[in-house]
Amino acid sequence: MIPELESLREQVDEELKTARTEAEFQALRIRYLGRKGLLTGLLRNIANVQPDQRPLFGKRCNELKEFVSAKIDQHLAELAVSEKEKSLRTERIDVTLPGRAVRYGSLHPITKVRDEICGIFAGLGFSIEEGPEIELDYYNFEALNIPADHPARDMHDTFYVDEKRVLRTHTSPVEIRTMQKNSPPIRIISPGKVYRRDSDISHTPMFHQIEGLLVDKGITLANLKGVLTHFLKKMFGEETAVRFRPSYFPFTEPSAEVDIRCVICGGKGCRVCKQSGWLEILGAGMTHPQVFKNVGYDPEIYSGFAFGLGLERIAMLKYGISDIRLFFEGDLRFLEQF
Amino acid sequence: MLVSLKWLRDYVDLEISPQDLAGKLTMLGLEVESIASIRPDFSGVRVARITGIKPHPNADKLLLCDIWTGDRTIPVVCGATNIKVGDVVPLALVGATLPGGLTIKKSKIRGEVSEGMLCSERELLLGQDHSGIMLLPEDLPVGEELGAALGADDTVFDISVTPNRSDCLSIIGIAREVAAATGKPVRYPDTALSENDEDINRITSVTIEAPDLCPRYLARVLKNVHIAPSPPWLRQRLEAFGLRSINNVVDVTNFVMIELGQPLHAFDFDQLAEGRIVVRRSQPGETFVSLDGKKRVLPSDAILICDGKKPVAIGGVMGGINSEVTDGTSVILLEAAYFQPSSIRHTARLLGMATDAAFRFERGIDPEGLIRAVDRAAKLIADLSGGDICKGVIDQHPGSIPVARDIVLRLKNVEGIIGASISAEKVIKILEALGMEIKEADDETLLVTPLSSRVDITQEIDLIEEIARMYGYDMIPATLPHIFAASDSSGGRRIETETMIRRVMNGSGYTEVINYSFIHPSSVDDLLLSSDDRRRNQVFISNPLTEEQSVMRTTMVYSLLKNVLKNFDWGRSDIKIFEIGRTYLWESQSKESSELNKAAFLITGRRYEERWNFDDEKSDFYDLKGCVENILDALHVPAPSYRAAAGESFLHPGKSCGIYSNEDRIGFLGEVHPDVLLRLGISAPVTVGELDLDIVTSVAIFKKGFYSIPKFPAVLRDVAFLARRDVEAKDFVAAAQQSRQELLEKVDIFDVYEGENIPDGMKSLGLRFQYRSTDRTLTDDEVNSIHSRIVESITRSLGVTIR
Repeated sequence: MIPELESLREQVDEELKTARTEAEFQALRIRYLGRKGLLTGLLRNIANVQPDQRPLFGKRCNELKEFVSAKIDQHLAELAVSEKEKSLRTERIDVTLPGRAVRYGSLHPITKVRDEICGIFAGLGFSIEEGPEIELDYYNFEALNIPADHPARDMHDTFYVDEKRVLRTHTSPVEIRTMQKNSPPIRIISPGKVYRRDSDISHTPMFHQIEGLLVDKGITLANLKGVLTHFLKKMFGEETAVRFRPSYFPFTEPSAEVDIRCVICGGKGCRVCKQSGWLEILGAGMTHPQVFKNVGYDPEIYSGFAFGLGLERIAMLKYGISDIRLFFEGDLRFLEQF
Repeated sequence: MLVSLKWLRDYVDLEISPQDLAGKLTMLGLEVESIASIRPDFSGVRVARITGIKPHPNADKLLLCDIWTGDRTIPVVCGATNIKVGDVVPLALVGATLPGGLTIKKSKIRGEVSEGMLCSERELLLGQDHSGIMLLPEDLPVGEELGAALGADDTVFDISVTPNRSDCLSIIGIAREVAAATGKPVRYPDTALSENDEDINRITSVTIEAPDLCPRYLARVLKNVHIAPSPPWLRQRLEAFGLRSINNVVDVTNFVMIELGQPLHAFDFDQLAEGRIVVRRSQPGETFVSLDGKKRVLPSDAILICDGKKPVAIGGVMGGINSEVTDGTSVILLEAAYFQPSSIRHTARLLGMATDAAFRFERGIDPEGLIRAVDRAAKLIADLSGGDICKGVIDQHPGSIPVARDIVLRLKNVEGIIGASISAEKVIKILEALGMEIKEADDETLLVTPLSSRVDITQEIDLIEEIARMYGYDMIPATLPHIFAASDSSGGRRIETETMIRRVMNGSGYTEVINYSFIHPSSVDDLLLSSDDRRRNQVFISNPLTEEQSVMRTTMVYSLLKNVLKNFDWGRSDIKIFEIGRTYLWESQSKESSELNKAAFLITGRRYEERWNFDDEKSDFYDLKGCVENILDALHVPAPSYRAAAGESFLHPGKSCGIYSNEDRIGFLGEVHPDVLLRLGISAPVTVGELDLDIVTSVAIFKKGFYSIPKFPAVLRDVAFLARRDVEAKDFVAAAQQSRQELLEKVDIFDVYEGENIPDGMKSLGLRFQYRSTDRTLTDDEVNSIHSRIVESITRSLGVTIR
């Protein structure tokens, strides 16, 4: 039987040399190693072998079986590698075609600026308060030390609803509402819509402000400068020059107008800063003692400061937008840029 | 306010450049908004003297003049008749340019050489007179450029004066600020005058019948006044301020108002019936023709200045045409009064007359400046018009005027508010530089009397502001306050809701818009809202800019539909937008307005962009519903459901739903009703939705735990049912859940089909049932037995069959 084994080995060697494809190798495996395969058949006939030669025969058979099996595995593995290499060589997609995700929507630039500002003040421990937009004359004016027939009402072109209601002209009434509800310390900001009766390239009848209020014992104008300088440097960059100058608001005293070095011209003077080199960014001041009295705080014990700024103005500076009306026209060609 | 630096120099020395001065004033709170240079609109014109005049040999109406230019004599042909030898006149030399662009050339006029041109006022735009050559003052230096010689060059600041600083609505007030900041003294104008012997009390009288509105009224009378054009210096002053010159009397009253801040009025005394003044309140409906020729219907309680019979001026606002100073006027009654500020403001606003006088009265004039102003004006009018000032002033003072009160300043409060350590000496120096008087001083307090013109300074904090202002805001350190715990925030939760909605909508490709809160009142009709819909209770604006923006919106949907319309115009047909904002309702019961926080969404056109690898599909109800589901899921809104027939008049009745969390209605969603689209002129189907964020926030679960990851595999079973069309998907899910079978983890709808092979009026619905146990791997037998029970219960309860 051993010679048969030898000729089978030669035969396998020959066939392994000529096989090329995966299918041919699989066929070889079945032909020799399958249940009815040639090698399997040989082993099944071990009964015909001389008893003393059986161990040797068995051993050779198994050796041959393992040899064939290993050879086929090896060829298959090589084939797989070359197949993979071939497909890596030949498969190509056009990577410059557009992808498949739905286009991400845009946030309104006012939302973006508002979130950024709220984030900076959140870092300083300010929390968010809100108030009504249809506001009582009392909160919008009276409680803020602006009685009827006060010339400061000229600073606000007011929309009226009826005798005692207005569309709020600023977010400052939230200061009063907050102080009426809470006792000091107070540390809030309040973003929201405000309304003034004005419409041109630099005014819309509705726009957005953020109000801020901080009340505690021992708060000073120096603190106002510290907090707002911190904010402006975070917002416009650490190198931003900031200027505080005296101004007037009936509900703060001393009052300040806060400017930053013009972000357009760097201070040389341009159309945006009206040649002054500075941009007016926010109004601020120490809360007026009368306002504290109006909400039942004792100005002998507490002091504080308030500030307000227009979001459109910040967004316009940040993005270089020259027409404020664009914010509210719903024009997707504009909004999708943000 | 426009401030001429040349004028300012009359009262204070300016040793710094205009730019530096502007910076200083701005840092004092007097913001200089612009700086303008004024130069005459001509060049090459000199001061010259006429040294000879002879008739033109070839023309009767022309003269041949010899003109001394300062370095030579030249011949000039001239047609004027008002000149004589020795006159000083403006000479435009060859090469000169006149206003309007005329360039002077050497010429021959009727055979005689002319090397220049003598000019009239009007030709130089220095005045209106064109009757002859402008005659210059004798003492002007011959040979000098005319502009420089007349002092027509000037720098004008436009200063934004805040409403509290009425004292700075005058040149003298600005001069005081400059003086305080630079340490220079203020030179007050000369008010010394000479009177004749005629006692004013024998000529006229003043009766104040409304002392509350007019607590004080002063009058002076001037006789033999010659009304004439004002001299160039006066005209230049007024023009620098932005006023037109009228005549020497009216101009003086304006000049003194700008100079000292006290508005004045001059009456033609001969037009005053009974030669006297009566001050009273107006009667309702009374009419009056003001100086500008307009007939005014006066509000009640306006201040009327009357003569013995009729009104002659609206006090503090404008004079009347019936007593105006004209060329024929020779006797003048000069008025200087204190009118109650809020009354003037009220009248001026109701009449729409924002005059310079009213502006000053309503902000508060110097209560102690009346006499000085009336004397100053009388002196100037006498100087300019040759008039005689009658003896004495009538000074009726029946009412009370708030005057400067002493204020206690506690030095510790200076540092307490400002946050900088400023010495007592420095504080005193600052206050004194501002003209305040320190009456008493000890280690802790000062007793301060403010200047009478500083009507804004009435309490301690006003003094502290002055100290901070003069000390310099830039000198105050910038320090952060100590940090303490944040106060509670009422806005917090809802803002989290909004942030989540923005995230979901952005991810789904929607762009945020912000629309005006006010819309057209007919929007509720366009949305077909029924007569009892509470969204018809709009809040109206009583003084809107346009009808388009005259009511506060009661739904966001209308604004979004308008966005669609405009974007269609701009060439966009695929639109995905959302807005987060408020709607506003008038609660007719409580007579209060209420504000609701909303989010609204809209989609129209293609579902995806037009792209090589996207199907070209139209969006529909389910696109927006998917977004809403994601939002409610992200916010963990419990038991959300979508119930057919939203009940919204503006939505398609068969393609819309109300959105609920348990039994709370939190919004709606649906295709817009074709009638609404038609009314608005929108030509494509649109789906909209709105969520009430106040309710969503109240039901959302912000603190949520997690489920552990299942340890055992799920077993799936798919079934297709055949059902009538009106059986809803939710009925199947509900029926499956009704089995209360704990091992049924989830039911999904994986297929909906109508059409071929399905009978009319029927649909096929494919459901996928997912079974899982938390403590073992389920066997097929186990699942099959539960599953067949559930399927059977569905077919039974819904009357459907298995396909």
